[in-house]
Amino acid sequence: MTEWTLCLDFGTAYSKAAAAPTGAWARFDPATVRPLMLAGEEAETNPFLLESAVFVDDQQVLFGSAAVQRADQFSGGKRRALRSFKTLLSVSDLDRALATNVPGSIDPHRLFQMRDLIVLYLAYLLAAINRAAGQDGDISQATGLKVRYAAPAWRDADSAGTHASILRLFGEAEALRNALGKKLLSPEGLSMALVTKAVPKAMAAPEPLEMSLIFEAPAAAAYTSIGLRDAGSHFIVVDMGAGTTDIAGLVRDRDGIQELADARYTLKQAGDFLDGIIANRVLKAASWARGTEAQTALWAMLMRQMADVKETLFAEGRVSIRAQGRGVTVAMRDIERDQDFREFIKTLEHAYEHSIAVVRGDALVRGRAEVEAIAVGGGAAAPFIQALVKQKYRGKPRVTARPATPDWAHAPVFAGNLAPVFPQLAIAIGGALAPDEMLAVNGGGVRRLAAGRNDTQAARD
Amino acid sequence: MPAVASSKVKRASKAGQARRPSRKTPARSRTLNDALAEAAWAEADAALAEALADLDEVEGAETAAARRTALAMLAQSLARAGRKRGLTRIGEVGGKAAYSAAAHELAVPAKRAPKRVVISARGVARGGAVLAKPRVKPATRGKKPGRKKKP
Ligand SMILES: Nc1ncnc2c1ncn2[C@@H]1O[C@H](COP(=O)(O)OP(=O)(O)O)[C@@H](O)[C@H]1O
Repeated sequence: MTEWTLCLDFGTAYSKAAAAPTGAWARFDPATVRPLMLAGEEAETNPFLLESAVFVDDQQVLFGSAAVQRADQFSGGKRRALRSFKTLLSVSDLDRALATNVPGSIDPHRLFQMRDLIVLYLAYLLAAINRAAGQDGDISQATGLKVRYAAPAWRDADSAGTHASILRLFGEAEALRNALGKKLLSPEGLSMALVTKAVPKAMAAPEPLEMSLIFEAPAAAAYTSIGLRDAGSHFIVVDMGAGTTDIAGLVRDRDGIQELADARYTLKQAGDFLDGIIANRVLKAASWARGTEAQTALWAMLMRQMADVKETLFAEGRVSIRAQGRGVTVAMRDIERDQDFREFIKTLEHAYEHSIAVVRGDALVRGRAEVEAIAVGGGAAAPFIQALVKQKYRGKPRVTARPATPDWAHAPVFAGNLAPVFPQLAIAIGGALAPDEMLAVNGGGVRRLAAGRNDTQAARD
Repeated sequence: MPAVASSKVKRASKAGQARRPSRKTPARSRTLNDALAEAAWAEADAALAEALADLDEVEGAETAAARRTALAMLAQSLARAGRKRGLTRIGEVGGKAAYSAAAHELAVPAKRAPKRVVISARGVARGGAVLAKPRVKPATRGKKPGRKKKP
């Protein structure tokens, strides 16, 4: 009987969770790592990915893939699912953002505030976690379960305050989950009548949950360095998701892990931005698709398969797309010619150069010989991201690129099955494995950003 | 859940087991690996389905150009399905190696084992296990290295 630690990761598109026995950091055994099947065992898609979506229908509120499918039946953006929880959770004034009314395209009844829909989604997420944890032979017998959630670092916000607000949301969600039970996971969703009665009640009587906060960059550092005899002291993490590309520098010492404030960059260009460039490129080449209607249809078709398009483009340097019975080929070279893309790359390289100088400078001052570079997120395999993390630098400290999928994920116990899905689950897995010193908030104390010791300039090749 | 984890989680667990009474192996490794495999398959399914449709287009192509295009689409879909299943390729087409019956599959009939071979089709591996050996042909046709006398 052991205690387990579980970590939740809300992505812009999907929520994920993983668990590991508490203390796995010190006695690491890959076989004990458990990604959780949040979408259920009967899911037709990847069972580890729970769609982050809520759809307010005429008579029901739908969650997850049911919400996405229902929203897909409406064209032209008149009705939408609420999807951007993650963006909301990273705004600096969370409480104010939660108190805003939901746009009519999301809630035609004009009944809900952001807070209501987020609490509903979190109750659904908690129900999914409980179901998945219960189905796992080991976790269900745990003597206790410590819970963490991963979030992007809040640069300007007050972490303790934001964490408290998020805990309050989870407390309300837990009360709602207790009231509604399994109904939350029904594909038919919840009736409006039930929702409008149960949500205010839950909000009035939250059931507080004890949860810790881990920032995403330390979670990435945790899964990369676990199991290595000589775990590194300095890290640079490049995380390209859907909405932002984040660069963070980390230093680990006996007291835990700290972020080097001067090494942090957030760029507003990431997966979504690339999608636009690729789609525009295809539209330009597709000479047969003229007129707004044909182009709108082509655009929508492209967006539906964009993750696959990018997967192939990154892996092979080119991708052929079949559209309306004809083929279009887009090469990475074409994308590199785009003016906006070139500007993005310039900004990205500049930010990375600055960031790595801060991290290497700090390593130099502390007498450390190595900085580990890690690319994470859906865009980790992009050639321009790989080029950054694989860049070589003259002299010490050297910079070593770590693979997006660590060697231990290829362990025979997984029979080759973990590696293909690893990058998407990486933050949840790292968050579950990380030792307590890597937490941003653990039972009260909030770790601050450290001032980077970048007084020494490190040379570049 | 968390604050009151064990009792509630246990309750959920019973419900979970009741739904699938047939599983005798401990939920542990079996469930996880099944689920991981399903996840990779779910991702690969769409690409594999595309590949099957592409295959019909290759076979039905009426011109050489149409056939080339369809073949490129087929190659792309299959490669994508392979990556999503975590398959990796072994060797490079045209690469040379010392022949080993354990590591290579001879793509042409040979009376005796060649010494050096050239890879004519890459092999496939997954998580350290070889699923298909690289296919090879004798490297130095015409020179008959097999007949060289040993010093
Ligand atoms: N295999 C892939 N190759 C390239 N891009 C991908 C792949 N899978 C997902 N993406 C893209 O990655 C982004 C999502 O990444 P993720 O790290 O999950 O973001 P977030 O945490 O913001 O949800 C999307 O733009 C998606 O299209």
